[in-house]
Amino acid sequence: MSKVVHKSGQTEELKNLDKLKPNKIIDVRGAVCPHPLNLIRDSIISLKDNEILQAVCDHEPTAKENAPRFCTRRGYPLQVIEQNGVWQIFIQKIEKTEPRLRVLNVSKVFKTNHGRVTAIDNVDLTIQEGEFVCIVGPSGCGKSTLLNLIAGLDKPTQGEIWSNGNRVTGPGSERVVVFQEGALFPWLTVMQNVEFGLKLRQVPLEIRRTLALDYLKLVGLDEKFHNSFIHQLSGGMKQRVALARALVMEPAILLMDEPFAALDVYTRETLQEELQNIWTESHKTIVFVTHNVQEAILLGDRVIVFARNPGRIKAEYEIDITRPRKIDHPEVFLNTKWITDDIKEELEEPAYKADTREVVYK
Amino acid sequence: MSKRLTKLILFYLILVGLWQGLAFLKLWPEYIFPTPLGVLKTLLTGFEDKTFIIGILISMKRILIGYGLSIVVGLCVGLLIGRIKTLDETVGSLVLGFQALPSICWLPLALVWFGLSESAMLAIVILGSLFSIIIGADTGVKNVPPIYIRAARTMGAKEIQLYTKVIIPAALPSIISGFKQGWSFAWRSLMAAELLYVGLGLGHLLMMGRELNDMNQVIAVMIVIIIIGIVVDRLIFAKIENKVRERWGLT
Repeated sequence: MSKVVHKSGQTEELKNLDKLKPNKIIDVRGAVCPHPLNLIRDSIISLKDNEILQAVCDHEPTAKENAPRFCTRRGYPLQVIEQNGVWQIFIQKIEKTEPRLRVLNVSKVFKTNHGRVTAIDNVDLTIQEGEFVCIVGPSGCGKSTLLNLIAGLDKPTQGEIWSNGNRVTGPGSERVVVFQEGALFPWLTVMQNVEFGLKLRQVPLEIRRTLALDYLKLVGLDEKFHNSFIHQLSGGMKQRVALARALVMEPAILLMDEPFAALDVYTRETLQEELQNIWTESHKTIVFVTHNVQEAILLGDRVIVFARNPGRIKAEYEIDITRPRKIDHPEVFLNTKWITDDIKEELEEPAYKADTREVVYK
Repeated sequence: MSKRLTKLILFYLILVGLWQGLAFLKLWPEYIFPTPLGVLKTLLTGFEDKTFIIGILISMKRILIGYGLSIVVGLCVGLLIGRIKTLDETVGSLVLGFQALPSICWLPLALVWFGLSESAMLAIVILGSLFSIIIGADTGVKNVPPIYIRAARTMGAKEIQLYTKVIIPAALPSIISGFKQGWSFAWRSLMAAELLYVGLGLGHLLMMGRELNDMNQVIAVMIVIIIIGIVVDRLIFAKIENKVRERWGLT
């Protein structure tokens, strides 16, 4: 007996199973991983147009309605078939969309008094429109350097960065950055800070005001603070203003450099929740840098783990947990534990290990 | 506040009382040791026959022109050397050198170049205040937190917008401090220069007092000079400075 499980969770007899002729077959039965899709992501990504991949696993890939999301997001239709306790996953790549961001073989070398330091070594990264990508890694792994390169605040030593089909040569308001703290202008009021970028674009006052009000409302800043100066706000309120100031520019990609790292736990949780809501509504493309694995899993569709010495991508994970995600959601906990275990050596040891970017196929 | 004011008034009453008491003892002749009453009388007549008013106006005119020119030039130079490394390494060192030179030391050169004239006076005022203003603007620009500039650039700011919308506002507290220091240097230099130059300014009135052996006038003019200094420094600059610091969240 075979059946197709749809995104909605409905099942249906599969009549023409033999029509799906896979180009590749991967067997991941016996793998200890809550999301078998993660084990085959590299194979999925390397699929060429119209190629079909078949994966076999011995448990349900993940919660039915979530499983196919990362595939569908990339325009890959997916079918999950259950047959005698064995789950078959079929994935076909059908179209190739121009990605929002492409980082091509980028390296960055800094010259210091002690010689040349490779901050980033040969990083390759593609981010699709509407993706929420978290880059996580220990301090000094070059994740912020990569963000600066994407923002155009720094130039790569080697490689290219393309945003929206244009080569990145300098900073621009289609790639606005939300910094950790202290980037708001103290001589301007909250409102004037949010209007700042629009004023640079010479947007007329009335439109500026309306947009600023909209975005301040979106980030949930109380109206009574609109005319306050920055030093009169709490840390959480400051980051709300910073977020509004970036969003009001309607950037193609929102870059966030550890924006919640300096906040206390409760404020951080509130802001994480609101950022999720904002993303769910707007589907902005977001690149979020953090050193906190749990935060990355809570927020991201995709988590990219960075290793240091030199900074490079160690692993990537797809996070298919229903939103809104709560910090105490069991799936968030499970994934955090799983990924933390996976990258433990990276977090603990002063990395001299060889690149262990491989997954356990059985 | 009122308690502080009472203390202050009491202190000055005692000081003037002591002064008057010493004068009563007639230890020194009056042309050497003037009395408070004599000084007050000179002050009143000085303002009545307008010699003091004219002196104040003339000195004020000189300082306003000189100081104004200093602000314009100093601000431009300071803002540029704060941001352009090559200028900082060359012109910046020159500015630091000149800052160490008391401006009255320029007088011999100014007299040779401009003669005993209004221009020499202006030159002394400008040279007295220029370097403080340059250094104030320069320090302000150098201390702008880099994150402000990075944030503005990601929002699409061009180099000129960076100056007008970020660097100058961020540097303003330091620029104002430079203005304040520049003012007090300008005022001191002007008084020194006027002592040596016939031209009816306050410094000249001081010198006239000495020539006429009229210590009442000397003390009276000194009081006028002190009061102008305090008024400008405390009431104008200190207020602006406090307001800026408060708004910038530096207090």
